[in-house]
Amino acid sequence: MPAKVSQKKNPKRNPLGKVFAGNIGALAVGLKYFFDPNRITLLYPHEYIKLNKGYRGFIVLIKEKCISCSSCARICPAAAMRMLSVKVYNEKLKKYMIKKYPVINYNRCIFCGLCVDVCPTEALYHVPYHDIVYENMNDMILSLEDFQKEPENIEFKEGIPVKYYFDERRGLVKTPYMEELEKRNEKEEKNQKVEGEGEKGAS
Amino acid sequence: MNPCYYACYIVYKVIVYDIIFYPPVYQFLIIPGLITAIIIAIFIIWFERKAAAYVQMRYGPWEIAPKIGGATQLLADLTRYAMQEIITPQTVDTLQYLLAPIVMVVLALLPLEAVPLTSVKPYFPIPSGYSLLVAVAFTTLSPLFITMMGWASNNKFSITGSVRESFMITSYELISVLGLLTAAAMTRSYDLVKIVNLQMSGKWLGLINPIALFVVFIAVLMSTSGFPFEIPESESELVAGPFTEYSGLLYGLNMGGAYIRRWVFSILITLVFLGGWAPYRPTPGVITGYLIPSLIVSLKAVVIMGIMSFLRSVYGRYRLDQALGIAWEILIPLALLAFGIGLAEAYFGII
Amino acid sequence: MEAGTASSGSGIHLPGMEIAKASKNRYEVMIGPAHPGSGHMRIFVEVDGDIMVKVDPDIGFVHRTMEKLAEGREWIQNIPLFERIAILDACNITLPYVRAVEKLLGIEAPERARYLRTLLCEINRVASHLYGMGIFGVFLGHSTLYMWAFGDREVFIDLAERLTGARLTHTYPVFGGVRRDIPDDFPEDARKATRYMRKRLNEYAKIFLNNPNIRSRLENVGVLTKNQAAELGLVGPNIRASGIRYDVRLNEPYEAYGDVDFEIPVFEEGDSLARAWARVEEVRQSLNIIDQVVTWLEKHPRENFMHEKFWKTAPKLYKDVYEGKISYSPKYRIKLMPIFASLKVPPGKSFARVEAGRGEIVYYVESNGDIFPYRVRVVSPSFRNVIAFKYVMPGHRLMDLPAIYGSFDYFPPAFDR
Ligand code: SF4
Ligand code: SF4
Repeated sequence: MPAKVSQKKNPKRNPLGKVFAGNIGALAVGLKYFFDPNRITLLYPHEYIKLNKGYRGFIVLIKEKCISCSSCARICPAAAMRMLSVKVYNEKLKKYMIKKYPVINYNRCIFCGLCVDVCPTEALYHVPYHDIVYENMNDMILSLEDFQKEPENIEFKEGIPVKYYFDERRGLVKTPYMEELEKRNEKEEKNQKVEGEGEKGAS
Repeated sequence: MNPCYYACYIVYKVIVYDIIFYPPVYQFLIIPGLITAIIIAIFIIWFERKAAAYVQMRYGPWEIAPKIGGATQLLADLTRYAMQEIITPQTVDTLQYLLAPIVMVVLALLPLEAVPLTSVKPYFPIPSGYSLLVAVAFTTLSPLFITMMGWASNNKFSITGSVRESFMITSYELISVLGLLTAAAMTRSYDLVKIVNLQMSGKWLGLINPIALFVVFIAVLMSTSGFPFEIPESESELVAGPFTEYSGLLYGLNMGGAYIRRWVFSILITLVFLGGWAPYRPTPGVITGYLIPSLIVSLKAVVIMGIMSFLRSVYGRYRLDQALGIAWEILIPLALLAFGIGLAEAYFGII
Repeated sequence: MEAGTASSGSGIHLPGMEIAKASKNRYEVMIGPAHPGSGHMRIFVEVDGDIMVKVDPDIGFVHRTMEKLAEGREWIQNIPLFERIAILDACNITLPYVRAVEKLLGIEAPERARYLRTLLCEINRVASHLYGMGIFGVFLGHSTLYMWAFGDREVFIDLAERLTGARLTHTYPVFGGVRRDIPDDFPEDARKATRYMRKRLNEYAKIFLNNPNIRSRLENVGVLTKNQAAELGLVGPNIRASGIRYDVRLNEPYEAYGDVDFEIPVFEEGDSLARAWARVEEVRQSLNIIDQVVTWLEKHPRENFMHEKFWKTAPKLYKDVYEGKISYSPKYRIKLMPIFASLKVPPGKSFARVEAGRGEIVYYVESNGDIFPYRVRVVSPSFRNVIAFKYVMPGHRLMDLPAIYGSFDYFPPAFDR
């Protein structure tokens, strides 16, 4: 069915009087939200969004899978990904060979995800977060070693992870994401135990 | 008696009774005056932001003091204003530019010198015989300096803003004067003390003659650029209207000035229409006769200001000619009607 | 007005510089470029008293040479580039480019991809209209509408994020299809969002459009007659508010618009209020479309949403990715063939248009068989709408400027490209 045209007109003013009806309606809506606020603000450093798996965040390389095809560097629209030549020891041929691996410059990357989608061996993948602080611009040009690690997200240490759920009445509802929190607490406990034991051993 | 003790007693007496509770000083500087006005302005601006935030799906000020809802945010803002450099552009008329905001704030507080806040005679700042008339007259002084600010700033946006301000002055002044003097017509007196005493029985003039209260309420919104009438400073066209060139503490004064004027008008409305210190009957003595009634009046005034602030989150701004149309075509007839109703009520002895 | 050729000798006379005689009682106010009420543009306004007599929009402050940049980039790399024309309407803005290139390649997106594109287009349209309404609100000093519109826009941006993986720069449609299918819980979320938004639109009307204060600002302000709108060649909701029945979705249905059931609201008055209402009604229709499309997507099996040429030849790994067998990557994601990285498009000229949030957007693409486009021409809706300021504003008061300006839903980066 193709679209139809529907002829409309500006709604008429309420005959009850130009002034009263509209004003009362507006005030009533205002008061309704004053007494029953519907707040969606994320209190950012104290909370952070636990994003879904599909989010196109920072990119990580799995070096073993890379076949050095350069597709990722060629498709990159921002020229953020470049191929780096490294000397690799080849077991079979028993000699050093030059092999190319991608490295990324986060100064330029626009997180379009084309590189991840084009990689024929799934050697690149996204981590679902994007709020990472670098101290200076040179740090944003990752080395091959850094590119293979999932970048560390500082917020994860302090803030409460939250997730937004869709709701009919309130649009987006912010709910703390407990699983993540529990996982983190467990990790911390473990770390503390390990540290404590280490201290004991030292003394 | 120990002479030293006696001297101390005298000094105490002088400080407490002749300086702090000396009515002109007390009223200008302490309870409804400067200090309270600043505290109230801080509170009301916080409330305004918080109320707007509640309506607007936000938290409002929060980060600076999460436990009390960010109530100290305004102190931080104020400190920032105070620390900022006051820039005087080369093209401005320096003397007027610097003086106008200061004079504006001082004059804005002046009406408080005329209003009695108690029915106990020694605590009247001026003889209360014509206090309503004097207070209303004083309220008309400070807006002139907003116009002057715009002129001295020598900037197109400032001048446009101040021209708008002067248009607004001409329209709201008549309304507020008419509305407030309705009370005089109803009670056959310019004496605020008498007006309040008449309302002691619970027959608040605002309840008997709500139209007058409504008219004055709107006039106050107009005079202090409250929200549907936030025309002189309209940010999306005129940057900040008459205050465009100001920075630092002077800008803070300007912003505070509007709230101080709103505060003064709220006190006047409280006294005239909402029964002043009504349920309470002052008795002689500094505390019971002066402090408590002035606190009651302040509390009622704060409620009025809160209502005015809430309107920000519901309304946009009117166009200048529409605001003037509302003033001249709707509110002035309404004010005259309220005046007539007041006279009729006085004639039939409802009061 | 008249360019004085003999400019009394003082100062430099640049080509194109206009020298106007200063006249008494006239007062020139410049709104912008760094001004809270203007975007990145400048409007010369000449006022006589409080009445605007001459209004001259001066654009070009955020010009980014998109068209020239496109000539030095490969075909697929241009998609993320063109998103930057109007970032909050990314899918609608890039879709005609993709369609034009598809025409050159001689391929067409499969049915499921067409529905998915329609879905994201409508989500973008809702978000873009909400953005416009928010800006409109703050122009009139109505901060509540601003916050509400931006807050509720978040709902739709979140939907888009769940669909594509990015909040604004989706880079979603690619040649031959789209990049992802909907996640499993998407239909339910989308339905909740549309139901919520329908309810909110009534509240918007209560607090903003039916508020006597705002209504009096908008009614009979900035009236654009039917003739004038046609003469100036405006597009989008602005002309539909003036009574012209023109919408690409209606006149030349593309993607899935021929198959879904919706209405094109057309208003008669042509004033600012009608333009605002036209947007509200359009959001309502968009919500209907989202509902229908989501239901269609749910009913039909998840088969190919990429052109067969690319889909059939895909190795097994690509199908594993799609089915979610690779643990660290999201499900239902298509892999692009490495051929995309250096796609050669057969020579030819093509042209495509779609109805973006702000109106019709047109791309003309020329290829000479290389890996770069030879020429890409973009005509964006805001560019066509901005001329209206010059003819609609004079005669109104200075305070009407924001009311008219906001009602046209301008977007400076879109008209500067
Ligand atoms: S995400 Fe996009 S911009 Fe970033 S490296 Fe990959 S292709 Fe380049
Ligand atoms: S596309 Fe994948 S396999 Fe090819 S070079 Fe890049 S990371 Fe390596």
